[in-house]
Amino acid sequence: MIRTFFLIYGVAILAGVSLAEYRGWSLNRVDEVLNVPKSVRDNPGSYRSVYGYYHHYTGGK
Amino acid sequence: MSSGGPTPAGAPQVKSLNCPSCGATLTLRSFSHAVTIVCDSCHSILDAQDPRLKILQTFQAATDEDPPLIPLGTRGSIRGTAYEAVGFQRRTIHVDGVPYSWHEYILFNPFQGFRYLTEYNGHWNDVSILRSLPICSPGASTLNYLGETYRLFQTATAGTSFVLGEFPWQVRVGETVEVCDYVSPPRVISSEKTGTEVTWSMGEYVAGRDIWKAFKLQGDPPAPIGVYENQPSPLSENVKLVWSLVAAFVILLVAMLLFIYSTARDEQVFEQSYEFNTNIKREASFVTDPFELKGHTSDVELTTRARVDNNWIYLNYTLINQDNGHAYDFGREVSYYHGYDEDGSWSEGGTQDTVTVPSVPPGNYYLRVEPESDYYRGAIYYTITLKRDVPQLSFFGLGALALLFPAGLVTWRSLNFEHLRWAESDYGGSPDDGSFLSTIENAVDSVKSMSGDDDE
Repeated sequence: MIRTFFLIYGVAILAGVSLAEYRGWSLNRVDEVLNVPKSVRDNPGSYRSVYGYYHHYTGGK
Repeated sequence: MSSGGPTPAGAPQVKSLNCPSCGATLTLRSFSHAVTIVCDSCHSILDAQDPRLKILQTFQAATDEDPPLIPLGTRGSIRGTAYEAVGFQRRTIHVDGVPYSWHEYILFNPFQGFRYLTEYNGHWNDVSILRSLPICSPGASTLNYLGETYRLFQTATAGTSFVLGEFPWQVRVGETVEVCDYVSPPRVISSEKTGTEVTWSMGEYVAGRDIWKAFKLQGDPPAPIGVYENQPSPLSENVKLVWSLVAAFVILLVAMLLFIYSTARDEQVFEQSYEFNTNIKREASFVTDPFELKGHTSDVELTTRARVDNNWIYLNYTLINQDNGHAYDFGREVSYYHGYDEDGSWSEGGTQDTVTVPSVPPGNYYLRVEPESDYYRGAIYYTITLKRDVPQLSFFGLGALALLFPAGLVTWRSLNFEHLRWAESDYGGSPDDGSFLSTIENAVDSVKSMSGDDDE
């Protein structure tokens, strides 16, 4: 019983890792944006990034 | 043990007698094998070998003080042999003034003789007398029997506190014996010492439901309470199996890691250096030249190297597919600060940052970059590098953890079971029997003792 469970579990883990590697999954957070206009290429300032008003670290001890 | 086994040939043979004390009818089931018989009406212990049933002892007890769970006269099949319950006794030990009692059932078969069942808190043992002596040294905490090592679990003085039925020995209420139990689950070897006489017996743990099935008893057996001295751990055999499987899967995971690292494209598709002048207030965003991401849907790794010194730069990145407008928006900061104070030198951050953009389909892309920093801090030079199809070590780490977690859980539960067992022992501690589990337990104890030394 536990052997069968663990065999299935182990194979599932290996399959999951393989899929994650093949598809290029990542733990990083990235926002996807659809239909960015082609005009951005000519006028980069016209695009407003999701992270444009991010609170920046000013550093120092 | 099985149910429905053969019964002794013919109808049960019994011999009826009368108690010389109260006149009640006595039923003798084991005939000349019985040495004493107890009248269940007046609780007189009678000499079964004496034709006049001489009264040996009378003890005070209510008739229903301790009714046997297996009524006397009940027949059942144990290991394919039919036995009849002919006697019952309760034995008691005292630990720190607290009485602990267990029950013993005397079973009889005319051809096989006597056999015993013991019950304590719902834990049952099938007991038979040993035909040969175990090998043990005086004062040793282990003994050997038929090549198997048994570990001393407890010693106690047990007194007989209640008897019923027939016994193949001169039973008396109040008599005491020195009892030693040596365990090797699911078996236990017990010695009972009376004067100079020592009797050795072996018990094997039996589930209550199997006893009920064997004797066709009504209802359910009492639920076991706690962990018994020779109760087999339901998990200990699984520990080695699970760790073997974990080892096999980890080897496969490492092989997969090597394969993926050797076959991944890991291709640099873009690299460019830039300057961000913080002294000039103007629109800082710009776009890079287009580059192609080839192959199947895979990740893109973006590395930013910035020459910051007690300074920071924040970059709003947008990776844009120039064909369909699908974009990936993210921001990264590179900051590096260092200095010296009363605690000595210190530093925070670094001059490089790497981020992985997941599952990016193939196509032609460009980057929109918007740098930010404090004004009037001079020029900040930075380099952007993009790589396609880069293996991610984090998933292999997560995979290894996921494999180890259930194995650790099974091991912990098994160790916990052993701790509960040995917590009841007079000689508690980690059993060092060379088993896989004891090796793990000893390693854990070593780590604990080392950390204890450190604390000191």
